[in-house]
Amino acid sequence: MLISFNWLKKYVDLPDSITAEDVADRLKLSTVEVESVVFQGAHLEQVVVGEILEIKNHPNADKLHLAQVDVGEKKPRQIVFGQMVKMEVGFKVPVALAPTVLPGNKVIEKVEMRGELTEGMLCLDQEIGLLKDGVSIQFFDKKVKNGTSVVEALKLNDYILEVDNKSLSNRPDLWGHYGMAWEVAALFNKKVADLDIKEFKPGKDVKLKIKIEDTENCTRYIGAVVGGIKIEPSPKWMQDYLKACGVKAINNVVDITNFVNLELGRPSHAFDRRDIKDDTIIVRRAVEGERLTTLDGIERVLKDTMCLVCDAEKPVDLGGIMGGENSEIKPDTTEVILELANFNAANIRKTMSAFDLRTDAGVRFEKTLSPHLAELGLKRILTLMKEIIPTAHLISKVVNINNDKAEKRSIELSPEYFTKKMGVELDKKQVVKILQSLGFSVVDKKANLLVSLPLWRSVKDISIPEDLVEEIARIYGYANIPAEMPVFPTNPPELNILRKLERQMKEILSLENGYSEVYNYSFVAPEFIKRIGLSTEELIELDNPIAKDRPYLRHNLWPSLLENIETNQRQAEVLRLFEIGKVFRIEQAGMRVGENSDELLPRQDTLLCLVCAGKNIAVPFFEVGEAFKSLMAHFNAEVEYKPNEKVADAFVHVGRQALVFVNGKEVGAVAELNPMTQKNLGLEARVGILEINLDELLPVLTNEKKYVPLPQYPVVVRDIAFVVDRKITHAEIVQALTKIDPLIVSVELFDVYSGKNLGENKKSLAYHITYQSLEKTLESGEVDKVHTKLIAKLEKEFQAEVRK
Amino acid sequence: MKTQLEKLKQEFIKGLEEVKDTLKLEELEQRFFSRRSGELTEVMKNLKELSGEAKKEFGKLANEVKGELEEMYGKKKQELENVKSGGLADKEWIDVTEPKLPKVERGHLHPNTIIQNDLEDLFASMGFMVLDGPELESEYYSFDTLNIPATHPARDMQDTFYIKGHSNWVMRPHTSPMQVRAMQKYGAPLRMIVPGKCFRNESTDARHEHTFYQLEGMVIDKEITFAHMKGIMQAVADHLFGKGTEIRLMPKYYPFVEPGVRGEVTCFLCKGKGCRVCKNSGWLEVMPGGMTHPNVLKAGGIDPNKYQGFAFGFGLTRLVMLKYGIDDIRHLEGGDVRFLKQF
Repeated sequence: MLISFNWLKKYVDLPDSITAEDVADRLKLSTVEVESVVFQGAHLEQVVVGEILEIKNHPNADKLHLAQVDVGEKKPRQIVFGQMVKMEVGFKVPVALAPTVLPGNKVIEKVEMRGELTEGMLCLDQEIGLLKDGVSIQFFDKKVKNGTSVVEALKLNDYILEVDNKSLSNRPDLWGHYGMAWEVAALFNKKVADLDIKEFKPGKDVKLKIKIEDTENCTRYIGAVVGGIKIEPSPKWMQDYLKACGVKAINNVVDITNFVNLELGRPSHAFDRRDIKDDTIIVRRAVEGERLTTLDGIERVLKDTMCLVCDAEKPVDLGGIMGGENSEIKPDTTEVILELANFNAANIRKTMSAFDLRTDAGVRFEKTLSPHLAELGLKRILTLMKEIIPTAHLISKVVNINNDKAEKRSIELSPEYFTKKMGVELDKKQVVKILQSLGFSVVDKKANLLVSLPLWRSVKDISIPEDLVEEIARIYGYANIPAEMPVFPTNPPELNILRKLERQMKEILSLENGYSEVYNYSFVAPEFIKRIGLSTEELIELDNPIAKDRPYLRHNLWPSLLENIETNQRQAEVLRLFEIGKVFRIEQAGMRVGENSDELLPRQDTLLCLVCAGKNIAVPFFEVGEAFKSLMAHFNAEVEYKPNEKVADAFVHVGRQALVFVNGKEVGAVAELNPMTQKNLGLEARVGILEINLDELLPVLTNEKKYVPLPQYPVVVRDIAFVVDRKITHAEIVQALTKIDPLIVSVELFDVYSGKNLGENKKSLAYHITYQSLEKTLESGEVDKVHTKLIAKLEKEFQAEVRK
Repeated sequence: MKTQLEKLKQEFIKGLEEVKDTLKLEELEQRFFSRRSGELTEVMKNLKELSGEAKKEFGKLANEVKGELEEMYGKKKQELENVKSGGLADKEWIDVTEPKLPKVERGHLHPNTIIQNDLEDLFASMGFMVLDGPELESEYYSFDTLNIPATHPARDMQDTFYIKGHSNWVMRPHTSPMQVRAMQKYGAPLRMIVPGKCFRNESTDARHEHTFYQLEGMVIDKEITFAHMKGIMQAVADHLFGKGTEIRLMPKYYPFVEPGVRGEVTCFLCKGKGCRVCKNSGWLEVMPGGMTHPNVLKAGGIDPNKYQGFAFGFGLTRLVMLKYGIDDIRHLEGGDVRFLKQF
């Protein structure tokens, strides 16, 4: 939204000492986001009036021409130009003198274009910042001297404030200069000039018939027929304001409706009466597939949700968005039908987004305008028409079909409420003064103030006392409200034990175990999931994925970590990565959809996943397995890995997989990726994966540590090495040996070896066996006795060949 | 005096050259440095009798000579000791610039985790609960309870991810659903923050991501005011960007607060002078907030006539990028170890 500073000053008498920048700064702090303030003449220092002396075709390009242009210099300049606008000898147009930089950082240099020198450029309005889009050019009168700066010739003395449209989304009143003027006046303690509005006698010649069928999408339609119209360009002052806001001047009638749109933020439309059959307006829902060619020349295929303005037989206007081409104002138009209707904001927005179209009218309607602006807008248009086209007069009654719902436009506010909400004292007088400065009317009812909205403000924006508090606060100035710390009781907050666990784990894994944390998307690609050999059936799917290749929600963390390995495998010899995050499981029940709803969201547990891969790591299973054990040791928790006896998934290495038990509870799984799958995924090294459900783990972590008195008597350590079948497990041996005698206090594996010399399917294990008594110092004989028993056990139970 | 010092120095050097064992070295030390009668000590003592410029000048000179002699003495001592230990220093010389091998790689926390932990600690110290909620949320908690009507643009398919087959499920577009869940669970008074992952249906480029992190907070009690919100925001700004950071609040519309504000802090890089990061404005927009809308309190089961409060938020992802000067948002979820290793 562009705001002209000159236009604002038409309503608010600001002294010269207050600059456009000053106004922008105050608006920024109290009203809207002003993105920039630009002087109209900025970057136009080298643009002058030039007269075309001669035109030739470009010898090397069909679509280009050469002109000799008198720009007030000793010699004319040669300028190459195209076909955007037809040029003739004698025309005086804006010429950019190379070298220079035009608005929008467009660099103009003396260069050869297809072999011909060009010493500047003939400028369209768009190129000198006078038009947002479209094609038009300024032609100067013969009297204007060649070489005159365009800033002077066009009297470009305005400053343009560019306001971020998003910051206006709840303030339809600020989509017009008049509404903005009220803000400026309130901020600078000034008065706003009254709008010039005259009353007009209704005419009798024409009987305008209006019928609203689509009452849902159109709640009011004010129509009036104006005769005595003579189409001409609008006066220069009006054109200047329109141009300042980037709107192209077209003719007096259209310019007046556009002017009022930019003044009051109130869109309207004018039809050529000749094109409206039977002087009849019908507002109805479109028929699915119905077509209307809008003013921009585009034929639009309509949906049955869209609202149409029609005459007795055909659609003439896409209601509230854009008029139809079939009824536009033409040079010979003498009578117009004016439309000021109130359309349903939500429907306007839906229709615009269906066509990917944003029009000046539509963006205002979609904000829910004050319904009262319709009448005011019509009066303002009629006043301006009379002023600009003296012969114009009403030739029908003003027909006003009004189904607008009654709005609550008054709010009770106790003056203390402001203090209660904002934490700063403001007396009643100050509250009243600020509200009145914004156009609110205030009636003091002793206990409360009865505050009524000015008719240009929308109840969508202001409907409760809190809304008035905001009005007062922002004009009072947020900077004037002190920053104070609230005072609370000292009770400590309830601890989030899952967050605490996550955090401890992250720190231990990264700082102690050398694992780096990754954050992955919650979305996964079916293509990758399928390459792993997983099904996408259980996965929750997005209805509108942004990345077409990642439409599913993750069910586990590890597939994405495999992707991390794939992208990083050339970056490091060993990759150790982990992630803690939520997964989405529709087959399990999660939290409630609403407080009293029976519907449950999918369960979203927090998982921990570790992966390890590296070309020198033969058994990454042990890498991730040990990292987790060491992690759990911090919590004093016992970890066991038990091979899963059930049929494993194809992507799992069946010989290297286990379920993970912590303090006796199954909480996850650990495995190596099947080497076949690994190859399919293009992974160069074996991958160890461990995945734990932290929501399952949390309840079994007691985190209890207890002191054990230091032993009084020394330990005796005996080493033993033996050869057994390779499938006999360490866990079985530990279990068997620790049971033999209470003197055995520890059985610790320190070497594993397998080689051809041992024979097939054999392995050699070596253990430290620690003997200790709590009652006395052990004698060698006592240890020998138990150790012999231990050897016997090994030989008998595991057919071990003890090495001597 | 100058010549006296010079002479002393020459004698010391001569003496040092003649020293062949520790015993002799000790004798030399006694002769020159002895506190009572050392030759150098004597010279230093004489300095006291000088005055003005002369004292200053010769004092400086004497100290320089003293330093030189001590250095020579120390070197000689070390030399003699090395000989005594059979040349250990030389035999066991190591290249101290060499790293220990094999290299032990440390792990790295994700930068978001680092900043999030820091902020969680700050808020915990002020008595805030740290909460977390579902990432796949209902429309009810994401929009309805937050005073965001069905016609609001945020509810469009192009802004929010919806779930196929469940038209009332969304990927939460903000952490705000937890405002209402927390009010329903804990009631008032309430003091909490929610750090978490959020999702918007937005094309990805260097500055936009469909997945990002927010940290949102809420305070509800009987007499919680806008001034208190400003106080908390100031405390956070001081913590994040250093004491003396200024904040300024400007109006901004969010359906779940009234009044709503956007909060800016003075740019921590240029200290408000204007630079590339703050686009020459001197300010960084980092925290939106506002007084909780009565409709939101009602949805949370809290009587807006008895209680009031505020909510505020940060783009955690944005803070991480500002703090570390990260120029491409996609790195955060790109999993590139070359990036992760930097933190």
